[in-house]
Amino acid sequence: MSKQIKNNLSVVLLLLTFILLTGCEFKDIDKDVFVAMIAVDKSDEAGKSYKITLKLYEPTSSFKQMPEPTYSYITESGETISEAVRLLESYSDKKLEFGHSKLIVIGEDLIKEDKSKEILDFFLRRPDIQMISWMAVGRPSAEEIIRLVPQGETAAYPELFNYFDDNGTESQYIITTYLFDFRRNMKSAGVDPILPIIEINHEESHFEINKSIVFRDKKEPYELNSLDTSLFNILSNSTDNADFYIKEDEHYLIVKIDSVKAKKKVQVQNNSNLKLDIEINLSGYIAESKKQLVNKQLPYYNKLFKKEAEKQFNDFFSKMIKGGYDPLGLELDYKSQTFHNRQMSNEEWEEALENAQINIIINPGLKSTGVIQ
Amino acid sequence: MSRFYYYLILVNMVANIIACVPAILLHYHKEGTVTSMLLAVILGTALVTIFTRFFNTFPERTLPELLQKTTTKWFYLPFVFFLAVMWFIAGLITMVTFTFLLNRFLSPEMPIIQISLMIILSAIFGCLMKTDRVLYTIEIILLITFPLILFIFYKAYSSNNLEWDYVKEAVLYVNQLPNLHSFSACFFLFLGAANLLIFNRFFAKKQTFGWKQVILIAVISISTLFTSYFIPIGFNGFENIDELVYPWISTSDSLRMEFFIIERVLYMFLLFYLGIAFLSILIHWHVSFEFLKFVFNLDEIKFKGKAIGKFIPIPFFIIISLFFVYQLNEYELFRYTSYFYNSLIIIFPMMTMLLFFIKRRMKYIEQTNQK
Repeated sequence: MSKQIKNNLSVVLLLLTFILLTGCEFKDIDKDVFVAMIAVDKSDEAGKSYKITLKLYEPTSSFKQMPEPTYSYITESGETISEAVRLLESYSDKKLEFGHSKLIVIGEDLIKEDKSKEILDFFLRRPDIQMISWMAVGRPSAEEIIRLVPQGETAAYPELFNYFDDNGTESQYIITTYLFDFRRNMKSAGVDPILPIIEINHEESHFEINKSIVFRDKKEPYELNSLDTSLFNILSNSTDNADFYIKEDEHYLIVKIDSVKAKKKVQVQNNSNLKLDIEINLSGYIAESKKQLVNKQLPYYNKLFKKEAEKQFNDFFSKMIKGGYDPLGLELDYKSQTFHNRQMSNEEWEEALENAQINIIINPGLKSTGVIQ
Repeated sequence: MSRFYYYLILVNMVANIIACVPAILLHYHKEGTVTSMLLAVILGTALVTIFTRFFNTFPERTLPELLQKTTTKWFYLPFVFFLAVMWFIAGLITMVTFTFLLNRFLSPEMPIIQISLMIILSAIFGCLMKTDRVLYTIEIILLITFPLILFIFYKAYSSNNLEWDYVKEAVLYVNQLPNLHSFSACFFLFLGAANLLIFNRFFAKKQTFGWKQVILIAVISISTLFTSYFIPIGFNGFENIDELVYPWISTSDSLRMEFFIIERVLYMFLLFYLGIAFLSILIHWHVSFEFLKFVFNLDEIKFKGKAIGKFIPIPFFIIISLFFVYQLNEYELFRYTSYFYNSLIIIFPMMTMLLFFIKRRMKYIEQTNQK
């Protein structure tokens, strides 16, 4: 065979292989419908445990045509989550695609029933659900949360996501918990998982996310109010903002903190006595005052601030310890410095923590009285 | 040493993050994995040193050629065939694991046979190339994928969600006796150097392998083992970590890249690892092919004056691989892989003895030649 013929033949062969490139095995994108959020509630129907609601993105051809966000919702109850989801799949003409769902909301009623592990199982076992989805508790119910489209929401990106993704608001009252994070703390002893609570202001139709809830095995979940939630965020170094109100000697100051650094250390003395050393650096400026301030007196204001902050953190710790909740992971801190065969048992640890000596050091760093004196 | 030598070692180490090694290590997280890892670093580095030093004294020679000179036919033919089977299994494990992964996470709608056939065919096409071409392929693919994989590791280490306290808790299980299964899984990471059995053909120049190189290999292996064992613990907790079937997939899914190509790191991780897994299969099967060529003298088989010998093993490779992809379930895959790793910690120390034997014989042959 001459070289010319050989070359021609190979070109023909190459062209023939193009027949094999008929397209992909995947489903076309217009045959998929993307799930935006998943809500899990307690079902009202007898004999069924869960009510699942899905928020689906409605496909639109262009943004100009449909500047308002449009969603559709489907709801079904089932004994397990999968049962409900299987039925839901028959309610939609397209394939439900869970891979882009970014938020899982669990109803408040369900939280009280200690079923978190059962719910988690479904989300962990499915490969298409993101481990980086956010988790939250919905009040009064998860369904109501995901059905609300607040004023001023833009198309394509639900407002609810902005609260959690550290890109929009950076409020100190918002706790962000990922699915993997929740699973990690749920399944291993040491840290009690914590979830934010989403509430609705009906009159103005917007969300309020400033409370949180702590879970502990064999115990009622414990709700943190807004102040405690922000203190938790400071202690876990997950925020840089904080506000403190100081009301003392005819002063009424509001301190705006813009840099936070917290260190916590558990020390064991004589095998059973615990000492908690908490050191928190807070620096910022004075945002508001009812009286005229003097620059020279900043050390005095710092002293007032220190006193107030110490009081608040002491309250927080005594509340947590008295209740037996440990969202900060003090037990894990202890476990990370003691050999596994010398650790105390769970009961011993709980007792030791209750009698622990708490030592809180606040390093106040008020640098300015703001733009005016 | 030549940079190609490090590629062989690196591919074997990095590829195992996706295979069963982390799963085996994490399964025994409370039964002495940490000490097994330390022990494996010491013994593994020693093994790498012995293998490399041996092949440095015989540049451009492969093990079959050396065996042919020094031992009898009834010994080396079955032995080399046995090695071919071992290397085939090593590649098969990576192939089956990665097929399962792709089927589960990337394209659940595609039939599993089709996915595996895609990997098998491209790997076999690579295996048929000459040894130096295989090394060039390795270099190109590593240059593309490895920096991105390093970037993902960097993201993991620098993530706020990595809880170092869990890692510390895991490290504190250091006061236990080593565990056989964990040890053999760690030991497998070092066997990249054993590919020199064939790939030594490429290294023509005399190489140096001194303390500097030994330390470099120890450092690479320690950082690989540390990453593959402790990072999943930092992201997924210590208790109940053994319930994860693919620890590294869950870990990469726990990473979030807000401002990079796509937010969900898992898909990038899978895609880049497809490259690394391909290289691992390619290296193992190439070695296996070369062994088979030697045993059955495939280069001599001719049909109408054309050498067709090297194509003969291909159907066997495809059929056996497809059979296992079809037959195995995840549990069996992990269990058999563990058995395979366990067998290696017996075979390779014995092979070092064989190497010493060959070395003495070769010296003797050279002396008689000089006379």
